[in-house]
Amino acid sequence: MELFTPDFGLIFWMFIAFGILFLILWRFAWPMILKSVDQRADLIDKGVEYAQAAQEQLANARRDAENYISEARREQAQILRDADKMKTQIVEQARVAAQAEAQKVMDNARLQIQQQQKEAEQQFRNRVSDFALQIAGRIVQNQMKQDKAQQQLVDSMLDEIEKNN
Amino acid sequence: MRLLIPAMTKIRLILISLLLAVFALPAAASDAGTADSGSTKIDPKAIIFEHLGDGYGWEVPFDHHHRIPLPVIVYASDGFHCFSSSHITHGETYADGGCTFRIAPEDSKYKGKVVEIVDGEEVRPWDFSITKNVCALFITVLIVVGVFLWLAAFLRRHPYKAPRKGLGAVEACVTFVYDGVIKPILGPQAKRFAPYLLSVFFFILVMNLMGLIVIFPGGANLTGNIAVTLVLSICTFLVTNIFANRHYWKEIFWPDVPLWLKFPIPIMPVIEIFGMFTKPAALTVRLFANMMGGHMIVITLTLLIFIFSAIAPVAGGAATVVSLIFSIFMLLIDTLVSFIQAYVFTMLSAIFIGMAQEQPHEAHGHETAAEIGKQIEETLV
Repeated sequence: MELFTPDFGLIFWMFIAFGILFLILWRFAWPMILKSVDQRADLIDKGVEYAQAAQEQLANARRDAENYISEARREQAQILRDADKMKTQIVEQARVAAQAEAQKVMDNARLQIQQQQKEAEQQFRNRVSDFALQIAGRIVQNQMKQDKAQQQLVDSMLDEIEKNN
Repeated sequence: MRLLIPAMTKIRLILISLLLAVFALPAAASDAGTADSGSTKIDPKAIIFEHLGDGYGWEVPFDHHHRIPLPVIVYASDGFHCFSSSHITHGETYADGGCTFRIAPEDSKYKGKVVEIVDGEEVRPWDFSITKNVCALFITVLIVVGVFLWLAAFLRRHPYKAPRKGLGAVEACVTFVYDGVIKPILGPQAKRFAPYLLSVFFFILVMNLMGLIVIFPGGANLTGNIAVTLVLSICTFLVTNIFANRHYWKEIFWPDVPLWLKFPIPIMPVIEIFGMFTKPAALTVRLFANMMGGHMIVITLTLLIFIFSAIAPVAGGAATVVSLIFSIFMLLIDTLVSFIQAYVFTMLSAIFIGMAQEQPHEAHGHETAAEIGKQIEETLV
């Protein structure tokens, strides 16, 4: 029975064919295939690890960012409050300063006015005394034209002096 | 629902073709029967073994007369002869140089083989013919080498990229065998023996699957031929024993058994040496018998149609339906068996190789020595 008695020709060719197949694949195919399969498996393992780490990092970063944001919000609110306070302060200060300035200007003005008033009064007095002297001079000139009158005046004055002493 | 509609049309298509087959095939069969009824009767045994066996030409579908001619190469009494098998297909004698050849007839002990006729006697020359099986072998080698060089080229061009579609399937098979069989069995030695084991696996797988294709590029019953499986298991035998370590040989010639079992009469060593050869023998027969059995069942189921048609056309009709369904079922099973047998052969080869690589469990001093030996071996390889 042919099936059970191995045929010489087929054995011969089988050895050659399988030998060639093995040599070609052993030399050119299997090292490359096994290497890349292993490498890819390693890469995938590493990739998974990396992705997990990255996810963790991302979560951390997100938490950090949220912290920073809330911190910033708090600071912003603080700054706004400070600014508001400062504003009122500045306005207050400005008002006070303006009042003081205004007071000073007013005082100054008042002083000047008083001075000028005094000067004016002085001048007025000077004028008035001038006029009085002139008038008195004129009157005296008029009255002293007569000797009798002069005599009389001297007498009355002397009387007065005597009375006083 | 949308998915169901194509499935329904497919089922309807199958049913219609089955019905057509019921009416057409027995008619054809009985026609053939009436045409030839006088001269030839169906001889199932002959048909089965013709299909399972080798041949000097390759059958063409639907034509029993013509065959694809293949070269006949023989080393006869006066040297090598090479001629086309078309000269001798139908039992003619052919004179090439000083020798005459023909295919031995039915009653000869070299039935179906090329013989040289010397002084009226049939002499079997050394036959290196590219027969149907050898040709199928070459086609298989071409396919396997082509596919894996293609895969290697792809991986060289795109490192770190997984191939898709066909190549992806091939790579999935490689990793299935490599990660699922070779690595768990051989452990640290996996990389060293993986090329051999993977080559064996895919060679057997492609041969098995090609055998299931009925027409030209396939159809040769390669792994169902004992010569093919014998060579493969001889290879496993050689790999196992050539790369075996000291511990393996010690276990064979001086196993850990009571002295009387091995000293005056070496009972255990004889058994162990016998075991060295039974392992590859079991490999040979397992693959051969499984694949041949599958082919035989499908052919027998197909032949049932003709046998029943010869009895009565109605019986033929019924037999057609039954055997068609069973044939399809068996072919599907055979596809699975093709894979399983390739897997089993690879796994057993890996186990045999792994057993010859095993380190002794106790005695640390020996282990280091064995390890050094192994390292030397590795550097040599």
